[in-house]
Amino acid sequence: MGAREVLRYPHATLKTAAADVEPGPAAEQLARDLVDTMRASPACVGIAAPQIGVSARAFCIDVSGHRRAKTNHGLVVMINPVVVKRDGRDVMREGCMSLPDLTANVGRAERVTVEGSSPQGERLTIEAEGFEARAFQHEIDHLAGLLFLDRVSSLTADVFPRKRYDR
Amino acid sequence: MHVAVTAVGADRPGIAAAVSKVLYEHGGNVEDSRMAILGGNFAMMLIVALPASADAASLERALSGPAEAFDLIVAVRPVAEASPEHAEGTNYVVTVYGADKPGIVYRVCSTLASHRVNVTDLATRIVGEERPVYVMILEATVPAGADAAEVEADLKALSAELSVDVAFHPLEEETL
Repeated sequence: MGAREVLRYPHATLKTAAADVEPGPAAEQLARDLVDTMRASPACVGIAAPQIGVSARAFCIDVSGHRRAKTNHGLVVMINPVVVKRDGRDVMREGCMSLPDLTANVGRAERVTVEGSSPQGERLTIEAEGFEARAFQHEIDHLAGLLFLDRVSSLTADVFPRKRYDR
Repeated sequence: MHVAVTAVGADRPGIAAAVSKVLYEHGGNVEDSRMAILGGNFAMMLIVALPASADAASLERALSGPAEAFDLIVAVRPVAEASPEHAEGTNYVVTVYGADKPGIVYRVCSTLASHRVNVTDLATRIVGEERPVYVMILEATVPAGADAAEVEADLKALSAELSVDVAFHPLEEETL
């Protein structure tokens, strides 16, 4: 199917907790659509299935070449992820293609260990740090129906109209 | 039409409710707004969309009720519908802190303006009683064509002159 339309808030799917995914051909097709959609936006380093209208626990990220990346596992496509360990804390300003007019200072764990599986059903365990860890947490939040606005504490101190948006 | 509404008065419960009630009764819709306690005063700044039948002068008259009840300074003025387009550029955060003295805001903003840097967000706070520390944090857009290194050099020179600390760094936003 290729790149799909990225839904924007207030689309209800973005605020709905997604369901687990069975590994197999359907998951592999969803994975291809996620990667195609991510690759279609140059600045995009990750996308979650609810953002393309599929309420399924699947996402992909790729922080390759990103100047802030500490760890980099290249293209990661994962279904049914669980953050099993998190430590440290770091605040960074985040944007999201589903909330294109805002950015916000979001505090997240500096390091995470994520367990899940590939679309084919192979078990995956990934330890990520820094920007890649942030990307995992942002995408996994989407699978629970959470947007970055759910992670900020102050509208005046932490949320900003986006001054420029590079698609 | 849109109007800018400002109201300031000694802080006490009920000010926001009383002012917003009048706005609502005039068919106004509060769009962008900020309300905060500044130096013990409750300060409201609101951009309000009004129906075509309303006007700024009658809204200001209607606000004389809460203005008298809460001893507020109130003003209502028409504003342009859309904000002007600003030049493309790179966003920076400027942090200034040090012993309080008059002129910090003026000198820092003048330095930025001399490079056509556009201030988009600014807040200041005085912290501490015996030896108050002045803190200013602002966001600004350095336009394409302006040299951020020159802006930073001028801010550093100013920080030495004013004996305050200045940090200047790009605001990195990441789309996930």
